[in-house]
Amino acid sequence: MISNAKMQMRDREFALISGLLAISAVLMYLFPSFAVENSAGQIDWITLPLVAFPLIAGTVLMAFASMQPYRLKDRIGQPIKLISLAFALMMLGISSGLLFGWLESINWDLSQYNRYELDFEYAWIQSIGVSWHVGLDGLSFSMVWLTTVLIPIVMITTWEEKIGWYHHPLILMMGGALIGVFVALDFFMFFVFWEMTLIPMFFLILKWGGDDRRYAAQKFFIYTFTGSVVMLLGIITLYFLQPSSQALVDQGVLTGRTFDMTQMAIGAQAAANADIAWLGIDMQKALFLMFLLGFLVKLPAVPFHTWLPDAHVQAPTAGSMLLAGVMLKMGGYGLFRVCATLFPEALLEYQWLLLTIGMVSLVYGSFVCLGQTNLKRLVAFSSVSHMGIILLGIATMEPLGFAGAIFMMFAHGIISPLLFAVAGAFKHHYHTLEIGSMRGMAKHSPWLATFMMFGWMASLGLPLLAGFVAEITVLIAFWKAFGWWVILPGITLIVTAAYYLWSMQKTIFEGGDDGEMPESLGGAPAPDISLWEVSGMMLLAMLTVLFGVLPWIFFDMMTGYAYGLFDGILLNVITGGA
Amino acid sequence: MTEITRVQLFSEGGDTWLALAPEMTLLSGLVLLFIVPNLGDAKWRIPLTQVRIPVLFGGRRFTATSDPRLPAMLAIATLLLALWQALISQGADAKTWLLTSGSGAEANILLRVDAFSRIFEIMFYSALLLAAVASIDRLPARRAGSEIQQLIDNRRQVDFYLLLLMTAFGMSIVTMSMDLFVLFIGLEIATLSIYVLVAFHKETPEGAEGGVKYFIVGAVSSAVALYGISLLYLWNGNLQLMSNSATGQIGLVERWAEMESLLGLPLIAFCFVLVGFAFKVSAVPFHFAAPDAYSGASSTVAGILATASKAMGFIGLIRVLVMLAAPADGSAVWMFGLGVIAVVTMTWGNVAALSSSNPKRMLAYSSIAHAGYMLAALAALGAWAWGGESDLISSAPTDAGQWILTALIFHLVVLVAFKLGAFLVLALLETEGEVSDTAPLAGLARRDPIIAVSMFIFMLSLAGVPPLAGFMSKFLLIGGVVKMSAGDAFAAIAAGDGWSLGQMHWTFWLALSVFLNSALSLFYYLRIGVIMFFEVPIEGRRKPLIKAWFLRLSIWVCAIGTVIFGVWSDHLINLCYNAALAVL
Repeated sequence: MISNAKMQMRDREFALISGLLAISAVLMYLFPSFAVENSAGQIDWITLPLVAFPLIAGTVLMAFASMQPYRLKDRIGQPIKLISLAFALMMLGISSGLLFGWLESINWDLSQYNRYELDFEYAWIQSIGVSWHVGLDGLSFSMVWLTTVLIPIVMITTWEEKIGWYHHPLILMMGGALIGVFVALDFFMFFVFWEMTLIPMFFLILKWGGDDRRYAAQKFFIYTFTGSVVMLLGIITLYFLQPSSQALVDQGVLTGRTFDMTQMAIGAQAAANADIAWLGIDMQKALFLMFLLGFLVKLPAVPFHTWLPDAHVQAPTAGSMLLAGVMLKMGGYGLFRVCATLFPEALLEYQWLLLTIGMVSLVYGSFVCLGQTNLKRLVAFSSVSHMGIILLGIATMEPLGFAGAIFMMFAHGIISPLLFAVAGAFKHHYHTLEIGSMRGMAKHSPWLATFMMFGWMASLGLPLLAGFVAEITVLIAFWKAFGWWVILPGITLIVTAAYYLWSMQKTIFEGGDDGEMPESLGGAPAPDISLWEVSGMMLLAMLTVLFGVLPWIFFDMMTGYAYGLFDGILLNVITGGA
Repeated sequence: MTEITRVQLFSEGGDTWLALAPEMTLLSGLVLLFIVPNLGDAKWRIPLTQVRIPVLFGGRRFTATSDPRLPAMLAIATLLLALWQALISQGADAKTWLLTSGSGAEANILLRVDAFSRIFEIMFYSALLLAAVASIDRLPARRAGSEIQQLIDNRRQVDFYLLLLMTAFGMSIVTMSMDLFVLFIGLEIATLSIYVLVAFHKETPEGAEGGVKYFIVGAVSSAVALYGISLLYLWNGNLQLMSNSATGQIGLVERWAEMESLLGLPLIAFCFVLVGFAFKVSAVPFHFAAPDAYSGASSTVAGILATASKAMGFIGLIRVLVMLAAPADGSAVWMFGLGVIAVVTMTWGNVAALSSSNPKRMLAYSSIAHAGYMLAALAALGAWAWGGESDLISSAPTDAGQWILTALIFHLVVLVAFKLGAFLVLALLETEGEVSDTAPLAGLARRDPIIAVSMFIFMLSLAGVPPLAGFMSKFLLIGGVVKMSAGDAFAAIAAGDGWSLGQMHWTFWLALSVFLNSALSLFYYLRIGVIMFFEVPIEGRRKPLIKAWFLRLSIWVCAIGTVIFGVWSDHLINLCYNAALAVL
C-alpha cells in the first residue's frame, strides 16, 4: 500500500508552497512591466526567469541551508525542497505559457534558418566580442520545455532522497544550467553552460551515488571533459577563423571578432548561397570533427559511450533521470545547432560517418543490452541505441529525418527518465539492480511492475506512445534516403523488442504465486514504491501517452525547424548554390 | 598617443611629485614606520640646567605607539593611499612623464611614468595590500603579556611591514625604469626585501632553508645579470633604453636596431641579463630554488613571490626583449630559444605539479607553469613583424603584438586575484599548523563552505575555466599567439582559399602547447576540489576554521576579483591595452 503518514503534506508546508506559487504568479504577472523588450515586441522570458533565476535561487537556498546548524538541517529540508519545487513549477509555467501562447503570441511552427523567437542580445565582455545572446526556435524550445517539465518531476520522484536541502536546490541549478545550454546563441555562453551542467551532475553522483561512485564520477568527468576540451579548441579556432571586422573594432571589440552563432550562421548561409564552402572545405571538416567529438561523447555514441553505463549505474535516481533525460540531448542538440547549421558541407561529406556511427550505436547498443542483467546498465545501453537513431535521422539529410531525430530526443527525454525512475525505485526497495534475480515482481510491487512494463513498452516503440512516433519517422526518412537498407535498423528494433518482452515477462509475471525474491532482501517482504515515486512515474507515463497520441504539439515545430534548416542552407549545399 | 612631458627629477615645479606620487607616499610611509613606533616620552635635559625638553624619541613609549598592531595599520594606510594615487592617475587625462637626471648634456632618461607603469603599480600595491591585510592575522600581535613580549612583537611587525613597503618601492622603480641600471637598483631593493621575507617565517626550519636557498641562487643570478648590464655599458656607453634626443645619446634600443650583424659582446651581455630575469620568473632551468622558497616561506609571502615578484621579472623581460631586442623584421634571435624554454617550463611545471602532494609546492609548480605560458606569449611577441615569407600573408600582423602584450599584462594583473587568493587560503589553514600535504584541505567544504568555494574558484581560474579571470587571460594569450602566427591567413580562409598549417608561423605550436598544458593542469587543480569537497577531515582538523577576519576579507576580495575580472573584464582589459600601447 502506498499510504504513509510521513508523506502527508502538512498544512503549514502546503501554505508555504501555495504562498510561494502565489508570489511567483504575481511576479510573473508583473514581470512584463519591468522586463526588457526586443525589437519584435517580445519580453525577455529567458534570461532572468529561466536561466538566472534557478541558478541564483538554487545557490541561495543551498547556501542558506548549509549555514544552518546541524540540528536544524533536517527540519529545514522540507521547506527547502518545497521552495525548490515551487520555483521549478514556475519555470514550467513560463515555458508552458510560451508554448501555448499565454505569454507571447508565438507561432512555433513557423521556423526559418537562423531566426529566433525571444531573441535578446546584451553586451557582456565587449573586448573579445562576447555577448549574452539568447533565443529560441523549434529545436531549442522543445528541449527547454522538456527540461522545465522534467525538473519538477525529478524533484517529486526523488522527494525522499537524503540530504534534501542539498539535493533539490542542486537539481534546480541543474535545470538553469541545462536551459542555459539550450538558449545560448553565443559560443562563449554555450560553452560556459555546457561545462556548468557538469558541476551539479558531478556532485549528484558523488554525493548520492552507489558504492563505486568515485570511479564513475571521475570517468564521467574525464570523458565528457576531454570531449569539451576538443570542442573548446574548435570554438576558439572558429572564433579566429572569422575575418576581423572593422565595425566591431569601432564598437570596442579588441579582437574584431565575435562568438555570436547567429553572425556565423549568416556567413555560412551567404557562402552556401554563393556555392562556396564557408571557411574552406578542409577547415570546415576539421572544425566539424572537433565539435562532433564533443557532441558524440555527450550523446554518447559508440565508441565513446563507455562512461554512460558506469555513470548510470552509480548515479542516484535524480542523476540518472536528468543525465538520460536532458544531458544526453545536449549532444544531439549541438549536432543540429552547430554541426548542421554552420558546417553543412562537412555534414554532407561526413554523412557516411554519421550513418556508420549511428548504425553501430543502434546495433551494438541493442545487442549489448541483451547480455545485461543489471537494470540500469540495460537502460543505459538502450539509451545508446536510441541515440544511434538520432544519428541515423541526421544522416538521412531529409527534413523528416531531422524532425524524427529531434522528436526522438524529446521522446527519449520523457521515456528514459521513467525507466530510470523505475530502476532507482527498484534499487531503493530491492537493494539490488540485478533483475535476473527476480521473478514475479507484479505480485509484490504492482505499481513498480506496471511502470516498468509501461516504460519498456514505450522505449521499444509501442504505437500510441511517444517513442513510436520518433522511430517510425526516422525509419520512413531512412527509407526515403537509403531505400531498403531500412531493414537493418528495422530488424534490430524488432528483434531487441521481442527479446525484452520475453525477459520482462519473466521478471515481472512469472514465478508462480509468490515469485522469487532477490537475495539482497534477505527474506524480508518486498515493499512497493512510495506515493512520491508513483506520482513522478505517473506524470511521466501520462506525458508519454500524451505525446504518443498528440505528437503534433511538438512535432510540428520540429518539422518547421527541420524544414527551415534544410531550405535555409542544406538545400543550397546539396544542389549547389541558390 | 598622449603627450610626453619631459621633466628633470626634483626640478622646479611639482611635476616630479605629481608623477611619483605613489612612490613618495611609500617613502613617507617607510619613514613613518621607522619613527612612529619609537615615539616615547624621552626628554633631553639641557646641560647644567634642570630644564628637560621632550624629544619624543625613545624612553617609555606611549600607549598608542607601542600598540603592536600599529605597524600593520601604518603599512596598510600607506599602501591604500599609494594605490588610490595610482588608480586616479589612470583615465583619459593620464599623462606620460619622462624623468631625467639633469638638464645638461649629461642628463640621462631614468624613469618613465605612463599607462604601463601605472597598471603595474596598481597590481603591485593591490597584491601587497592584500598580503599586508592578510598578515594581520598571521603575525602574532599580542597586546597582553609581558612588556618585553609586546616589544618583540612590535619590532617584528615593524620589520615585516617595513620589508613589505620596501618591496613595493623597489617594484615601483622597476616598472618605471628606462635605464637598465635604475632597473637593476629597483630589482635589488625589492629582491633583497623579499629574501628576508622568505626567511621571515622563522618558526620552521624550512623557512630558513628556503630563504637561504632562494638568497644564494637569487644573488648569483643577480650578479650574472649585473655583469651582463656592465657588458652592455661597455658596448654602448650608457644604459638608457631610449635614445635621448636632447643630449644626442644613443639608447640601447636604437643601438641594437642599428647593429647590422649580431655582435658577440651585446649578445652575451643580453643572455646574462636574461638569466637574471629568468630567475625572477622562475623559468626552467632557473626554477630549482622556487618550490623550496615557496614551501618554506609563509603562504602570504609565497603569494607575493608568485604574483608581484614574478610580475617584476616579466617587466624586466618585456623591457629587455620587446624594447631592446625586437627587430622590426621579426627575426629576433631570442625567439626560438625563448620558445623552447617556454614549452619546457610549462610542461615541467605541470608535470611536477601533477606529482606533488604538498599544496604549496603544487602551487609553486603551477606558478612555474604559468610563467611558461607567459614566456610563450613573449616568444610569440618576437614574431610581431614577421611575414613576407609566405605569399598568403602579405602584411605583418602588427596589432597581434599589442594583443599579446595586453594579454600578458592582463594575466599578470589578474594573477593577483587567484594565485594570491589560493595562497591566502593556505595561510588560513596554516594557522592550525603546517600545511605540507593535502590532508589539511580534506573536507574543507564541511568545515568552511565559503572558504572551500573560494579555493575552488581559484583553482578553476588557475586552470582557465570560463568565465573566470584565468580563462579570459589565457584566451587572450592563446588568441594573440594564434593571431600572430596566422597573420592575415584568416581572411584567406574565410574566403574559402586553400590553406595549410605549414603556412603559419611556428609560434602556432606555442599556442597549442599552452592549450594542451592547460588541459593537463586541470587534473591537479580539480584534485584539490575533490579533496576539499569529498574527503573526510583528518583528526585534529574537524572544527570550523578560526575567525581570522582580515585574512578572510583578503580571500573574499580575491574571490570576488576572480569572478569580476572574468565576467566584467572590459574595463581592466582596456587599461591593459593602453599599457601595451605605451610599450610598443
